Amino acid sequence: MIIQNMLRLFTFHISLLTFVFCAFSQGNESGDDFIPVNKEVKHSTVFGVMGMNEVYDSYISPYAFNDGVDFRVQRETARMTKLWGGRVSNQSFIDVNVSSDLMTEGGPEWYTAGLRYGQGWLYNFHDCNVVNPAEHSARKWNYAAGLQASGYLGGVYYDRSGNNPGQIKFDVTVNATGILAYTIHRRKHRPIVLSYQLTFPLMGIAFSPNYGQSYYEIFELDNNDHNAVFVNTFNMPSNRHRFLVDIPIRRGELRLGYDVQINQAKINNLEYYNHSIDFVIGFTKYFTRR
Amino acid sequence: MKAFKYNILSIASMLLPLLCLYSCIVVEDEPFDNSNKGNFEALWKIMDEHYCFFDYKKQELGVDWNEVHVRYAAQVNEDMKREQLFEVLCNMLAELKDGHVNLSAAFDYGRNWSFFEEYPQNYNDSIVQLYLGRDYRIASGLKYKLLEDNIGYVRCETFVDGVGDGNVSFMLDYLASCSGLIIDVRGNSGGEITRAHTLASHFTNEKVLIGYYSHKTGKGHKDFSKPVAEYLEPATDGYRWQKPVIVLTNRECYSACNDFVKCMKQCPDVTILGDHTGGGSGMPFNSEIPNGWGVRYSAVVFYDAEMNQTEFGIDPDIFVQMSGTDTEQNLDTYIETARKMMASE
Repeated sequence: MIIQNMLRLFTFHISLLTFVFCAFSQGNESGDDFIPVNKEVKHSTVFGVMGMNEVYDSYISPYAFNDGVDFRVQRETARMTKLWGGRVSNQSFIDVNVSSDLMTEGGPEWYTAGLRYGQGWLYNFHDCNVVNPAEHSARKWNYAAGLQASGYLGGVYYDRSGNNPGQIKFDVTVNATGILAYTIHRRKHRPIVLSYQLTFPLMGIAFSPNYGQSYYEIFELDNNDHNAVFVNTFNMPSNRHRFLVDIPIRRGELRLGYDVQINQAKINNLEYYNHSIDFVIGFTKYFTRR
Repeated sequence: MKAFKYNILSIASMLLPLLCLYSCIVVEDEPFDNSNKGNFEALWKIMDEHYCFFDYKKQELGVDWNEVHVRYAAQVNEDMKREQLFEVLCNMLAELKDGHVNLSAAFDYGRNWSFFEEYPQNYNDSIVQLYLGRDYRIASGLKYKLLEDNIGYVRCETFVDGVGDGNVSFMLDYLASCSGLIIDVRGNSGGEITRAHTLASHFTNEKVLIGYYSHKTGKGHKDFSKPVAEYLEPATDGYRWQKPVIVLTNRECYSACNDFVKCMKQCPDVTILGDHTGGGSGMPFNSEIPNGWGVRYSAVVFYDAEMNQTEFGIDPDIFVQMSGTDTEQNLDTYIETARKMMASE
């Protein structure tokens, strides 16, 4: 098990290093490339509908609850900044999620709700522009990678009495994030942009009760026992994926896609996961900052 | 061409961490199937990994949980009916003699209530009603009355009701002229521990050590956190009682009520009178097995101020049993003994 984890860690770091090396070495070759600072701001709002959800929290139950529905709203703002010669883009988002699940038909219900806020800064490699690749990049493939700071506050509640009916979920993490966009040019029409974004936590702090610790002990008796836990890619192997298609319609864009979130943690001998897949639909619009 | 190679390599290396992440995905332990064997194994494992009194029960009752598995696994087969499986599982749990360990199905509630069922009740509701009469007051579940000999009588049947500082203070204000107070918690099988502490906090002027607690930190039977001291803070809202108090207990005083007695033992000028309490010092958690039956088990250990277990109850300061002669005369031996003690003081 230890060897497996070490191999994972090794592969993970080597791949990250390769990525950084490739990107920067190519970046240096064409170091004179200059992307003018863009005052354009992209706003997008999408609604996750027809979502599927599966939740497991060993603090509450030894079983996964998966017969449920999921609803999600995401608001995102992206723009290019002046940082690093105008190569860095900023992305901020709010992601609100509500879901309910069942283990067995007619059995108790499990509710999940949470809000994640994040701010990310991504380096746009070469002469890429992932904010508005259709307008500001000559490339078909545009990609950017960087860091994101995010915070999550939410909880799970199980419709059952007792001293362990729910869990508070709170974390503040620094994440790695990358965007890959592909532009499909069309005659007489504005291009369609396909994009994929991957985000996963590198390190941070998360709240968790200890294995058999009650919330009464934490909040009534004020006893903390490793309740603020250092988390990293391996004890919080979460990853979030967004597959999007931006289709120009009049002045804006119709946004369709899938949001896949694999939120999971293994801390204080407790295991948790919340897997969700949402079909998202919304709109994107560009505004000019003054 | 070179740029293309770099692009491909960059993208590929960006996706490689994804494969690593998927390889360390969190999955639940291998779930047991919804068969008789599966449900038996699931229940045994939930208890094995979460129950907090295995060492103590081994010491006091000789319960070896692995041996229990061998013995009861032999009794489970796929031909058993639902009720038969329920009976076997309840028998297995009953080995622990813990009132907080239950199996609940839609058709029955598995329990071990031997902590009071095997002992005299030492309580007669009809006789207590004679003491209360019809003109008693009720403050959020606390029934109280001024007896003829200027002694206050408080009947606290449960800690499920939301007793607050205001309720207790109004009651103490009404009984302020009494020479002493009798708090009758017989038959009180618990409720919210915070409510028990709220009531107890009106009987001390200083912060007092009431015990220690320790929770499980892992699946092992010995995986516990370091015991932490637990204190009772004096009530800051309302009145605090400054005269003698006698708490009446019987074997049905369980869980939060057992904790109340534990707290009152540390308060000044308080005497515990009656029978040994029922115990139930573990804080219960809930879980379930594949067929949907609910499981309740003790998860957090609470000790008394001397680090003794109170799982099997607390001794009173003065042992009293209900007298048949008193009962025939519609007298409650506990209340009469307490009144005599108050009078002599």
